[in-house]
Amino acid sequence: MTLEAFEGEVLRGTEWFGRDFAGQRVAVVAPGREAAQIVPEVAATARAVKVFQEEPAWVVPMPVPGPNVLGIAVARIFLRWQVKDPWIRRLLTPDHRFGSRRTAPGLGYYGALRRPKCQLVTWPVYAFVPHGIRTAEGIEHQADVVVLGAGSLFAKEGLPT
Amino acid sequence: MAYDFDALLRTIKDKQWSLADIDWDAPGAETMTGELRAKMRPFMADLVWIEHVGARGFASLAKKAPTPVIQEIYRYFHAEEQKHANAELALMKRWGMLDEHGSMPEPNINVKLAIKVLDDYGDTLPLTALATLIPLLECALDGALVKFLLEEVSDPVCHQMFRHINSDESRHITADFEVLELIGAGSATKLLTESVGSLKPQIVLGLIVVFVPLINKMRDNIVAMGLPEKKLYNAVKRFSTIGGRGEFTNRIPAYHVLKAQAAMIVDRSHVYHRLLADPMVKLTRLIPPRLLGKPQSWTEEITHEPVAS
Repeated sequence: MTLEAFEGEVLRGTEWFGRDFAGQRVAVVAPGREAAQIVPEVAATARAVKVFQEEPAWVVPMPVPGPNVLGIAVARIFLRWQVKDPWIRRLLTPDHRFGSRRTAPGLGYYGALRRPKCQLVTWPVYAFVPHGIRTAEGIEHQADVVVLGAGSLFAKEGLPT
Repeated sequence: MAYDFDALLRTIKDKQWSLADIDWDAPGAETMTGELRAKMRPFMADLVWIEHVGARGFASLAKKAPTPVIQEIYRYFHAEEQKHANAELALMKRWGMLDEHGSMPEPNINVKLAIKVLDDYGDTLPLTALATLIPLLECALDGALVKFLLEEVSDPVCHQMFRHINSDESRHITADFEVLELIGAGSATKLLTESVGSLKPQIVLGLIVVFVPLINKMRDNIVAMGLPEKKLYNAVKRFSTIGGRGEFTNRIPAYHVLKAQAAMIVDRSHVYHRLLADPMVKLTRLIPPRLLGKPQSWTEEITHEPVAS
Protein backbone atom coordinates (compact mmCIF):
# COMPACT_ATOMS: atom_id res chain seq x y z
CA MET A 1 0.00 0.00 0.00
CA THR A 2 1.90 2.97 -1.31
CA LEU A 3 1.36 6.69 -0.99
CA GLU A 4 -1.25 6.65 -3.80
CA ALA A 5 -3.57 4.70 -1.50
CA PHE A 6 -3.94 7.74 0.76
CA GLU A 7 -7.14 9.65 -0.12
CA GLY A 8 -6.23 12.89 1.68
CA GLU A 9 -3.92 15.62 0.51
CA VAL A 10 -0.17 15.02 0.23
CA LEU A 11 2.13 18.03 0.50
CA ARG A 12 5.71 17.85 -0.73
CA GLY A 13 8.71 20.13 -0.78
CA THR A 14 7.78 23.44 0.84
CA GLU A 15 4.04 23.26 0.08
CA TRP A 16 3.40 23.13 3.83
CA PHE A 17 4.95 26.56 4.36
CA GLY A 18 2.50 29.35 5.16
CA ARG A 19 -0.47 26.93 4.90
CA ASP A 20 -3.43 27.15 7.24
CA PHE A 21 -4.19 23.66 8.60
CA ALA A 22 -7.12 24.76 10.79
CA GLY A 23 -9.36 21.82 11.72
CA GLN A 24 -7.06 19.28 10.06
CA ARG A 25 -5.15 16.29 11.40
CA VAL A 26 -1.69 16.43 9.88
CA ALA A 27 0.85 13.62 9.63
CA VAL A 28 4.41 14.78 9.09
CA VAL A 29 6.55 11.98 7.63
CA ALA A 30 10.17 13.08 7.57
CA PRO A 31 13.63 12.55 9.00
CA GLY A 32 14.25 14.57 12.18
CA ARG A 33 16.34 17.27 10.47
CA GLU A 34 13.35 18.23 8.29
CA ALA A 35 10.69 17.59 10.91
CA ALA A 36 12.50 20.16 13.10
CA GLN A 37 11.59 22.84 10.55
CA ILE A 38 8.19 21.57 9.40
CA VAL A 39 6.54 20.71 12.74
CA PRO A 40 6.55 24.14 14.50
CA GLU A 41 4.98 25.75 11.43
CA VAL A 42 2.34 23.04 10.96
CA ALA A 43 1.52 22.77 14.69
CA ALA A 44 0.74 26.51 14.80
CA THR A 45 -2.56 25.99 12.94
CA ALA A 46 -3.37 22.25 12.77
CA ARG A 47 -5.97 20.54 14.96
CA ALA A 48 -3.58 17.66 15.64
CA VAL A 49 -0.10 16.74 14.42
CA LYS A 50 1.58 13.34 14.38
CA VAL A 51 5.29 13.42 13.66
CA PHE A 52 6.46 10.21 12.04
CA GLN A 53 10.16 10.78 12.64
CA GLU A 54 12.14 8.46 10.38
CA GLU A 55 15.52 9.18 11.93
CA PRO A 56 16.41 11.43 14.87
CA ALA A 57 18.67 14.44 14.31
CA TRP A 58 20.83 16.65 16.47
CA VAL A 59 18.64 19.73 16.70
CA VAL A 60 20.16 23.07 17.67
CA PRO A 61 18.26 26.30 18.42
CA MET A 62 20.35 28.13 15.79
CA PRO A 63 23.28 27.22 13.53
CA VAL A 64 26.45 26.60 15.55
CA PRO A 65 29.70 27.60 13.84
CA GLY A 66 32.78 25.43 14.29
CA PRO A 67 33.30 21.69 14.38
CA ASN A 68 30.42 19.15 14.54
CA VAL A 69 31.39 18.11 18.03
CA LEU A 70 30.55 21.58 19.31
CA GLY A 71 27.19 21.60 17.54
CA ILE A 72 26.35 18.17 18.99
CA ALA A 73 27.27 19.37 22.50
CA VAL A 74 24.90 22.33 22.07
CA ALA A 75 22.20 19.99 20.69
CA ARG A 76 22.54 17.69 23.71
CA ILE A 77 22.11 20.58 26.13
CA PHE A 78 19.17 21.95 24.11
CA LEU A 79 17.46 18.53 24.14
CA ARG A 80 17.96 17.99 27.87
CA TRP A 81 16.69 21.47 28.64
CA GLN A 82 13.62 21.22 26.43
CA VAL A 83 12.54 17.60 26.85
CA LYS A 84 12.15 16.36 30.43
CA ASP A 85 10.78 12.90 29.65
CA PRO A 86 13.80 10.52 29.43
CA TRP A 87 12.08 8.09 27.06
CA ILE A 88 11.06 10.85 24.59
CA ARG A 89 14.60 12.22 24.86
CA ARG A 90 15.92 8.80 23.96
CA LEU A 91 13.67 8.71 20.88
CA LEU A 92 14.98 12.11 19.82
CA THR A 93 18.67 11.20 20.24
CA PRO A 94 20.59 10.05 17.13
CA ASP A 95 22.47 6.75 17.26
CA HIS A 96 26.05 7.41 18.32
CA ARG A 97 27.49 4.95 15.78
CA PHE A 98 25.30 4.93 12.66
CA GLY A 99 23.31 8.16 13.16
CA SER A 100 23.99 11.49 11.50
CA ARG A 101 26.71 13.73 12.96
CA ARG A 102 25.26 16.85 11.35
CA THR A 103 23.15 19.33 13.25
CA ALA A 104 19.85 20.83 12.11
CA PRO A 105 18.35 24.14 13.24
CA GLY A 106 14.93 23.87 14.86
CA LEU A 107 14.33 26.40 17.63
CA GLY A 108 10.63 25.56 18.01
CA TYR A 109 10.75 21.78 17.37
CA TYR A 110 10.79 20.48 20.94
CA GLY A 111 8.38 23.19 22.07
CA ALA A 112 5.93 22.09 19.36
CA LEU A 113 6.34 18.43 20.35
CA ARG A 114 5.44 19.32 23.94
CA ARG A 115 2.03 20.61 22.86
CA PRO A 116 -0.81 18.20 23.79
CA LYS A 117 -2.06 18.13 20.21
CA CYS A 118 1.33 17.02 18.90
CA GLN A 119 2.58 13.43 19.11
CA LEU A 120 5.95 11.95 18.23
CA VAL A 121 5.76 8.54 16.53
CA THR A 122 9.02 6.69 15.89
CA TRP A 123 7.58 3.31 14.86
CA PRO A 124 8.47 2.44 11.24
CA VAL A 125 5.82 3.48 8.70
CA TYR A 126 4.98 0.50 6.50
CA ALA A 127 1.87 1.51 4.56
CA PHE A 128 -0.39 4.35 3.51
CA VAL A 129 -4.12 3.54 3.57
CA PRO A 130 -7.11 5.64 2.40
CA HIS A 131 -7.49 7.43 5.75
CA GLY A 132 -4.03 7.43 7.19
CA ILE A 133 -0.76 5.69 7.90
CA ARG A 134 -0.02 2.25 9.28
CA THR A 135 3.01 1.74 11.45
CA ALA A 136 4.77 -1.45 12.56
CA GLU A 137 3.35 -1.35 16.11
CA GLY A 138 0.07 -2.39 14.45
CA ILE A 139 -1.87 0.85 14.66
CA GLU A 140 -3.52 2.86 11.89
CA HIS A 141 -3.00 6.59 12.49
CA GLN A 142 -5.70 8.61 10.76
CA ALA A 143 -4.86 11.89 9.06
CA ASP A 144 -6.41 14.43 6.69
CA VAL A 145 -3.12 15.70 5.28
CA VAL A 146 0.31 14.09 4.91
CA VAL A 147 3.33 16.39 4.81
CA LEU A 148 6.19 14.49 3.23
CA GLY A 149 9.73 15.69 3.92
CA ALA A 150 12.00 15.87 0.86
CA GLY A 151 14.40 13.43 2.54
CA SER A 152 11.66 10.97 3.55
CA LEU A 153 11.96 7.30 2.59
CA PHE A 154 8.66 7.77 0.75
CA ALA A 155 9.56 11.02 -1.04
CA LYS A 156 10.27 9.36 -4.38
CA GLU A 157 7.10 7.26 -4.33
CA GLY A 158 4.16 8.47 -6.40
CA LEU A 159 5.98 11.42 -7.97
CA PRO A 160 4.64 12.40 -11.41
CA THR A 161 6.81 10.81 -14.11
CA MET B 1 28.21 -18.49 4.12
CA ALA B 2 27.22 -15.27 5.89
CA TYR B 3 23.54 -14.95 6.73
CA ASP B 4 21.61 -12.53 4.51
CA PHE B 5 20.23 -9.99 6.99
CA ASP B 6 19.19 -7.69 4.10
CA ALA B 7 16.84 -10.39 2.80
CA LEU B 8 15.44 -10.90 6.30
CA LEU B 9 14.77 -7.17 6.63
CA ARG B 10 12.92 -7.19 3.28
CA THR B 11 10.78 -10.13 4.47
CA ILE B 12 10.03 -8.34 7.75
CA LYS B 13 8.84 -5.27 5.84
CA ASP B 14 6.73 -7.39 3.47
CA LYS B 15 5.04 -9.32 6.30
CA GLN B 16 3.76 -6.34 8.29
CA TRP B 17 0.19 -6.56 9.57
CA SER B 18 -2.07 -4.30 11.53
CA LEU B 19 -4.65 -4.67 14.30
CA ALA B 20 -7.05 -3.11 11.80
CA ASP B 21 -6.70 -6.26 9.62
CA ILE B 22 -8.58 -8.21 12.30
CA ASP B 23 -12.34 -8.06 12.85
CA TRP B 24 -12.41 -7.74 16.65
CA ASP B 25 -16.22 -8.03 16.69
CA ALA B 26 -16.32 -11.32 14.72
CA PRO B 27 -18.19 -14.25 16.33
CA GLY B 28 -16.22 -16.41 18.76
CA ALA B 29 -15.86 -14.17 21.81
CA GLU B 30 -18.70 -16.14 23.42
CA THR B 31 -16.36 -19.18 23.65
CA MET B 32 -14.68 -17.38 26.56
CA THR B 33 -16.76 -18.62 29.49
CA GLY B 34 -16.92 -16.81 32.83
CA GLU B 35 -14.80 -19.49 34.48
CA LEU B 36 -12.15 -19.45 31.75
CA ARG B 37 -12.15 -15.64 31.77
CA ALA B 38 -11.40 -15.49 35.50
CA LYS B 39 -8.70 -18.15 35.18
CA MET B 40 -7.02 -16.53 32.19
CA ARG B 41 -7.12 -12.86 33.11
CA PRO B 42 -3.88 -12.81 35.17
CA PHE B 43 -2.17 -15.00 32.58
CA MET B 44 -3.17 -12.65 29.74
CA ALA B 45 -2.11 -9.60 31.75
CA ASP B 46 1.34 -11.15 32.28
CA LEU B 47 1.55 -12.08 28.62
CA VAL B 48 0.76 -8.53 27.49
CA TRP B 49 3.36 -7.13 29.87
CA ILE B 50 6.02 -9.64 28.84
CA GLU B 51 5.56 -8.66 25.18
CA HIS B 52 5.71 -5.00 26.18
CA VAL B 53 8.90 -5.52 28.18
CA GLY B 54 10.30 -7.62 25.31
CA ALA B 55 9.70 -4.65 23.03
CA ARG B 56 11.79 -2.49 25.37
CA GLY B 57 14.52 -5.16 25.26
CA PHE B 58 14.71 -4.87 21.48
CA ALA B 59 14.92 -1.07 21.80
CA SER B 60 18.08 -1.58 23.88
CA LEU B 61 19.40 -4.16 21.42
CA ALA B 62 18.96 -1.66 18.59
CA LYS B 63 21.39 0.64 20.41
CA LYS B 64 24.01 -2.14 20.35
CA ALA B 65 23.37 -3.67 16.92
CA PRO B 66 26.59 -4.58 15.11
CA THR B 67 25.44 -3.25 11.70
CA PRO B 68 22.90 -0.66 10.45
CA VAL B 69 20.78 -3.42 8.84
CA ILE B 70 20.59 -5.40 12.08
CA GLN B 71 19.77 -2.15 13.86
CA GLU B 72 16.84 -1.64 11.48
CA ILE B 73 15.74 -5.25 12.05
CA TYR B 74 15.74 -4.64 15.82
CA ARG B 75 13.81 -1.42 15.26
CA TYR B 76 11.11 -3.44 13.53
CA PHE B 77 11.21 -6.14 16.24
CA HIS B 78 10.77 -3.44 18.89
CA ALA B 79 7.64 -2.32 17.03
CA GLU B 80 6.42 -5.88 16.43
CA GLU B 81 6.66 -6.84 20.10
CA GLN B 82 4.69 -3.69 20.85
CA LYS B 83 2.16 -4.79 18.23
CA HIS B 84 1.85 -8.19 19.94
CA ALA B 85 1.22 -6.46 23.27
CA ASN B 86 -1.37 -4.17 21.63
CA ALA B 87 -3.09 -7.12 19.92
CA GLU B 88 -3.18 -9.19 23.10
CA LEU B 89 -4.65 -6.23 24.97
CA ALA B 90 -7.30 -5.94 22.23
CA LEU B 91 -8.02 -9.64 22.76
CA MET B 92 -8.41 -9.01 26.50
CA LYS B 93 -10.89 -6.26 25.69
CA ARG B 94 -12.80 -8.57 23.32
CA TRP B 95 -13.01 -11.14 26.09
CA GLY B 96 -14.26 -8.63 28.66
CA MET B 97 -11.10 -8.80 30.76
CA LEU B 98 -10.49 -5.03 30.97
CA ASP B 99 -12.26 -2.51 33.18
CA GLU B 100 -14.81 -0.04 31.78
CA HIS B 101 -12.04 2.39 30.72
CA GLY B 102 -10.14 -0.35 28.89
CA SER B 103 -7.11 0.36 31.07
CA MET B 104 -3.99 -1.75 30.95
CA PRO B 105 -3.86 -4.21 33.89
CA GLU B 106 -1.22 -3.56 36.57
CA PRO B 107 2.00 -5.52 36.02
CA ASN B 108 3.03 -8.00 38.73
CA ILE B 109 6.06 -7.15 40.87
CA ASN B 110 8.41 -9.32 38.78
CA VAL B 111 7.44 -7.47 35.62
CA LYS B 112 7.84 -4.16 37.46
CA LEU B 113 11.36 -5.21 38.46
CA ALA B 114 12.14 -6.13 34.85
CA ILE B 115 10.94 -2.67 33.75
CA LYS B 116 13.11 -1.01 36.37
CA VAL B 117 16.24 -2.96 35.37
CA LEU B 118 15.64 -2.32 31.66
CA ASP B 119 15.13 1.40 32.28
CA ASP B 120 18.26 1.63 34.43
CA TYR B 121 20.68 -0.78 32.74
CA GLY B 122 19.13 -1.96 29.45
CA ASP B 123 21.02 0.50 27.26
CA THR B 124 24.35 -0.11 28.99
CA LEU B 125 24.34 -3.92 28.91
CA PRO B 126 26.99 -5.28 26.52
CA LEU B 127 25.70 -6.69 23.23
CA THR B 128 26.77 -10.27 24.01
CA ALA B 129 24.78 -10.33 27.27
CA LEU B 130 21.64 -8.73 25.88
CA ALA B 131 21.69 -10.60 22.58
CA THR B 132 21.91 -13.91 24.49
CA LEU B 133 19.30 -13.07 27.11
CA ILE B 134 16.61 -11.92 24.66
CA PRO B 135 16.38 -15.24 22.73
CA LEU B 136 16.14 -17.17 26.01
CA LEU B 137 13.26 -14.96 27.09
CA GLU B 138 11.66 -15.29 23.67
CA CYS B 139 11.93 -19.09 23.72
CA ALA B 140 10.89 -19.50 27.33
CA LEU B 141 8.16 -16.95 27.75
CA ASP B 142 6.87 -15.74 24.43
CA GLY B 143 6.90 -19.10 22.66
CA ALA B 144 5.60 -21.19 25.53
CA LEU B 145 2.87 -18.82 26.64
CA VAL B 146 1.46 -18.35 23.19
CA LYS B 147 1.31 -22.13 22.76
CA PHE B 148 -0.60 -22.51 26.02
CA LEU B 149 -3.07 -19.89 24.98
CA LEU B 150 -3.87 -21.58 21.67
CA GLU B 151 -4.44 -24.89 23.41
CA GLU B 152 -6.79 -23.34 25.96
CA VAL B 153 -8.87 -21.06 23.75
CA SER B 154 -11.00 -21.88 20.71
CA ASP B 155 -11.91 -18.30 19.69
CA PRO B 156 -11.07 -18.08 15.94
CA VAL B 157 -10.02 -14.42 16.28
CA CYS B 158 -7.42 -15.48 18.83
CA HIS B 159 -6.10 -18.12 16.43
CA GLN B 160 -6.05 -15.68 13.51
CA MET B 161 -4.09 -13.18 15.56
CA PHE B 162 -1.58 -15.73 16.78
CA ARG B 163 -0.92 -16.97 13.25
CA HIS B 164 0.46 -13.48 12.61
CA ILE B 165 2.30 -13.37 15.93
CA ASN B 166 3.87 -16.81 15.47
CA SER B 167 5.04 -15.85 12.01
CA ASP B 168 6.70 -12.71 13.48
CA GLU B 169 8.22 -14.71 16.33
CA SER B 170 9.78 -17.25 14.00
CA ARG B 171 11.67 -14.39 12.32
CA HIS B 172 12.67 -12.99 15.73
CA ILE B 173 14.14 -16.34 16.76
CA THR B 174 15.96 -16.69 13.42
CA ALA B 175 17.48 -13.22 13.70
CA ASP B 176 18.32 -13.65 17.41
CA PHE B 177 20.37 -16.77 16.79
CA GLU B 178 21.95 -15.53 13.55
CA VAL B 179 23.14 -12.45 15.45
CA LEU B 180 24.62 -14.79 18.09
CA GLU B 181 26.45 -16.56 15.26
CA LEU B 182 27.77 -13.22 14.05
CA ILE B 183 28.90 -12.22 17.53
CA GLY B 184 30.42 -15.66 18.17
CA ALA B 185 32.46 -15.41 14.97
CA GLY B 186 34.08 -12.20 16.25
CA SER B 187 37.45 -11.90 17.96
CA ALA B 188 37.99 -13.95 21.12
CA THR B 189 39.48 -10.93 22.89
CA LYS B 190 36.38 -8.85 22.25
CA LEU B 191 34.11 -11.66 23.43
CA LEU B 192 36.14 -12.04 26.61
CA THR B 193 36.29 -8.28 27.28
CA GLU B 194 32.55 -7.88 26.81
CA SER B 195 31.86 -10.93 28.99
CA VAL B 196 34.00 -9.59 31.80
CA GLY B 197 32.26 -6.24 31.32
CA SER B 198 28.92 -7.99 31.92
CA LEU B 199 30.03 -9.16 35.34
CA LYS B 200 29.26 -5.87 37.06
CA PRO B 201 27.54 -6.55 40.41
CA GLN B 202 24.46 -4.49 39.52
CA ILE B 203 23.98 -6.45 36.27
CA VAL B 204 24.46 -9.89 37.87
CA LEU B 205 22.24 -8.96 40.81
CA GLY B 206 19.68 -7.43 38.45
CA LEU B 207 19.48 -10.65 36.47
CA ILE B 208 19.12 -12.79 39.59
CA VAL B 209 16.44 -10.60 41.13
CA VAL B 210 14.54 -10.10 37.87
CA PHE B 211 15.02 -12.92 35.47
CA VAL B 212 15.17 -15.90 37.86
CA PRO B 213 11.83 -15.24 39.60
CA LEU B 214 10.18 -13.98 36.39
CA ILE B 215 10.30 -17.44 34.80
CA ASN B 216 9.29 -19.26 37.99
CA LYS B 217 6.45 -16.83 38.61
CA MET B 218 5.18 -17.55 35.12
CA ARG B 219 5.48 -21.28 35.82
CA ASP B 220 3.34 -20.78 38.95
CA ASN B 221 0.70 -18.97 36.87
CA ILE B 222 0.69 -21.78 34.33
CA VAL B 223 0.33 -24.43 37.02
CA ALA B 224 -2.48 -22.39 38.60
CA MET B 225 -4.29 -22.61 35.27
CA GLY B 226 -4.05 -26.40 35.46
CA LEU B 227 -1.50 -26.71 32.67
CA PRO B 228 1.57 -28.96 32.75
CA GLU B 229 4.77 -27.02 33.51
CA LYS B 230 6.62 -29.53 31.33
CA LYS B 231 5.55 -27.50 28.29
CA LEU B 232 7.31 -24.43 29.59
CA TYR B 233 10.43 -26.52 30.14
CA ASN B 234 10.25 -27.87 26.59
CA ALA B 235 10.16 -24.29 25.33
CA VAL B 236 13.22 -23.40 27.43
CA LYS B 237 15.06 -26.38 25.93
CA ARG B 238 14.64 -24.81 22.49
CA PHE B 239 17.19 -22.21 23.54
CA SER B 240 20.02 -24.75 23.84
CA THR B 241 18.74 -26.84 20.92
CA ILE B 242 18.74 -23.94 18.45
CA GLY B 243 21.92 -22.43 19.89
CA GLY B 244 23.65 -25.82 19.63
CA ARG B 245 23.05 -25.91 15.88
CA GLY B 246 25.19 -22.81 15.33
CA GLU B 247 28.85 -22.95 14.46
CA PHE B 248 30.05 -19.97 16.51
CA THR B 249 27.39 -19.42 19.19
CA ASN B 250 29.30 -21.84 21.44
CA ARG B 251 32.16 -19.32 21.61
CA ILE B 252 30.01 -16.82 23.55
CA PRO B 253 30.54 -17.16 27.32
CA ALA B 254 27.13 -15.58 28.10
CA TYR B 255 25.47 -18.28 25.98
CA HIS B 256 27.03 -20.99 28.16
CA VAL B 257 25.98 -19.24 31.37
CA LEU B 258 22.37 -18.91 30.21
CA LYS B 259 22.36 -22.43 28.74
CA ALA B 260 23.44 -23.75 32.15
CA GLN B 261 20.67 -21.72 33.74
CA ALA B 262 18.17 -23.06 31.21
CA ALA B 263 19.26 -26.61 32.13
CA MET B 264 18.60 -25.85 35.81
CA ILE B 265 15.22 -24.30 34.98
CA VAL B 266 14.02 -27.42 33.17
CA ASP B 267 15.20 -29.76 35.95
CA ARG B 268 12.45 -29.41 38.56
CA SER B 269 14.43 -31.41 41.12
CA HIS B 270 17.45 -29.09 40.88
CA VAL B 271 18.37 -27.14 44.02
CA TYR B 272 18.18 -24.01 41.83
CA HIS B 273 14.42 -24.03 42.31
CA ARG B 274 14.42 -24.88 46.02
CA LEU B 275 17.23 -22.57 47.11
CA LEU B 276 17.10 -19.70 44.63
CA ALA B 277 14.23 -19.31 42.17
CA ASP B 278 11.22 -20.22 44.34
CA PRO B 279 12.45 -18.22 47.37
CA MET B 280 13.12 -15.29 44.99
CA VAL B 281 9.48 -15.38 43.84
CA LYS B 282 8.37 -15.14 47.49
CA LEU B 283 10.95 -12.48 48.37
CA THR B 284 10.18 -10.23 45.41
CA ARG B 285 6.49 -10.39 46.36
CA LEU B 286 7.46 -8.45 49.51
CA ILE B 287 9.05 -5.54 47.63
CA PRO B 288 6.82 -2.43 47.87
CA PRO B 289 6.26 -1.26 44.26
CA ARG B 290 6.68 2.40 45.28
CA LEU B 291 10.37 1.66 45.97
CA LEU B 292 10.86 1.12 42.24
CA GLY B 293 9.78 4.66 41.36
CA LYS B 294 7.83 5.72 38.30
CA PRO B 295 8.57 3.72 35.14
CA GLN B 296 9.56 5.54 31.96
CA SER B 297 6.80 6.70 29.64
CA TRP B 298 7.23 3.81 27.16
CA THR B 299 5.07 1.78 29.56
CA GLU B 300 2.15 4.06 28.60
CA GLU B 301 2.46 3.49 24.85
CA ILE B 302 0.29 0.39 24.79
CA THR B 303 -3.20 0.57 23.27
CA HIS B 304 -6.00 -1.80 22.31
CA GLU B 305 -7.42 0.60 19.71
CA PRO B 306 -6.57 -0.54 16.16
CA VAL B 307 -7.16 2.96 14.79
CA ALA B 308 -5.91 6.20 16.35
CA SER B 309 -7.53 9.42 15.18
